[in-house]
Amino acid sequence: MLKSLRSARSIFRYLLPGDLLTVILSMVAITYLFQTLWSHQHASKVQIRLGDKIHATYDLNLQRDVHVHGPLGDAVIHISQGKVRFAKSPCHNQYCVHQGWLTHAGQVAICLPNQISLELIGEQKPYDSLNY
Amino acid sequence: MRKGFAGLLLIAIIASVLFSLRAYNKEPLYHSQSYVFGTLVDISIYGESEQRAKSLSNQVLQDFQRLNNQLHAWKPVNNNQPSELGALNAAFAAGKQPIAISPQLADMLVNTTALSVKSHGMFNPAIGHLIGTWGFQRDEFSAVVINDEKIKALVKSKPRMTDIVITNNTVYSNNPNVKLDLGGYAKGYALDMAAHYLRQQKVKNALINIGGNIIAIGQHGNKPWRVGIQHPRKPAAIATLDLADGWAIGTSGDYQRYFILNGKRYCHIIDPRNGYPVQHTQAVTVLIPPQPGAGVLSDVASKPIFIAPAADKAKAAANIGIQYFMVIAQQPISQRSNGQQPNAEQSNILVSPALAKKLDWLDSDVKNNSHVKVLTLR
Repeated sequence: MLKSLRSARSIFRYLLPGDLLTVILSMVAITYLFQTLWSHQHASKVQIRLGDKIHATYDLNLQRDVHVHGPLGDAVIHISQGKVRFAKSPCHNQYCVHQGWLTHAGQVAICLPNQISLELIGEQKPYDSLNY
Repeated sequence: MRKGFAGLLLIAIIASVLFSLRAYNKEPLYHSQSYVFGTLVDISIYGESEQRAKSLSNQVLQDFQRLNNQLHAWKPVNNNQPSELGALNAAFAAGKQPIAISPQLADMLVNTTALSVKSHGMFNPAIGHLIGTWGFQRDEFSAVVINDEKIKALVKSKPRMTDIVITNNTVYSNNPNVKLDLGGYAKGYALDMAAHYLRQQKVKNALINIGGNIIAIGQHGNKPWRVGIQHPRKPAAIATLDLADGWAIGTSGDYQRYFILNGKRYCHIIDPRNGYPVQHTQAVTVLIPPQPGAGVLSDVASKPIFIAPAADKAKAAANIGIQYFMVIAQQPISQRSNGQQPNAEQSNILVSPALAKKLDWLDSDVKNNSHVKVLTLR
């Protein structure tokens, strides 16, 4: 114990203030970079909303069919290889199905009659809201 | 030893500050979505506690619901009570007997009449019978049997806003064929109402989107609110722009309410001069600088520009006082000014110079394809 303290002291004896600053700054940089780069998720997600509630959020890389029960009935949302689309909808006009695949963050598909919306979420939102 | 300890302490402090900054960075943004006016209402509030933001946006949604019940063009409030607008339409059809209306509705009628006159009748909320004939006064739009004779007769009956006589909150129509449909006005009115309410409640930053019509209050943290403009034929935005405090934006498109019959698209925007849905235009976007009634203008002003033929669109915009607009036409727009014949290489996108400066194009076809050019007015 005493020995290790002494050896630590001997190391610090040769450190100049500038060295210490370098050590501190590099540790700060590492901490910061770790936090900003490591913790971000690279996979985009799709957020499914039903009425005024967030129904679910799914990773886009897992292929799956999601069934959502809206006021008109069951809609099927197809997720595959980073894309998402309305595959089936009980609504009359099928505008939502005709919208096709959504691929980029910020894209939305809305089924007004059945009150279901899809929004692609990425690391950065290209815009806050959509004018249509 | 002391020095080293101090150094470690310093590192620990800096690291913890960074961690807390990161936690703080989780922005104070509240976002809600709801369905009113037969469309999606999307409210973002920045910089308020979640609880307060939630209660404010719930209040706004309740106000919207009340307005929707009051102004609904075809749905009664319940089985034995029509909407206020429904009762008014029934009175117009019955004859010239004046009926009492709320001061709020009276104000709206004065306002819509002024806008209708300014647009030379291209914005005409009195053509409810025509809109109904085309099947757009329903929750879902299916193809209708087109009755050319009936349409001709309805156009000939000349329903106009100036047929309506308003005195001291009582109103009657000189023309029994007037049937009001405020579908091109109510959402804009609701935007102004919500913006007014939130400002009154000292909300500094909010973005309200009613079915694509958007008004901004303040900004999103340290940067302006940013909005995307939907591509009329792709499930993506064509461009983005910053919406500064008090600005509003609105788009009229043929892709939200329409039906297809024999391969032809019939959209909900009807030319009051001939009674038929407009087929030469896919979308018109207008951007409105801060002013009283900015929300209303963002809703109303796109209609006359949408309806006007290509050559008259700039004039239609000027008539209603619009400087910032974009037209996406069905066919390439020819610019006659430089004497060229229209050809396939010409763009179907027309942007006013004022708006062109504000847009950031996202669509790769517009950005990369030299055949698609953004034309500007002079």
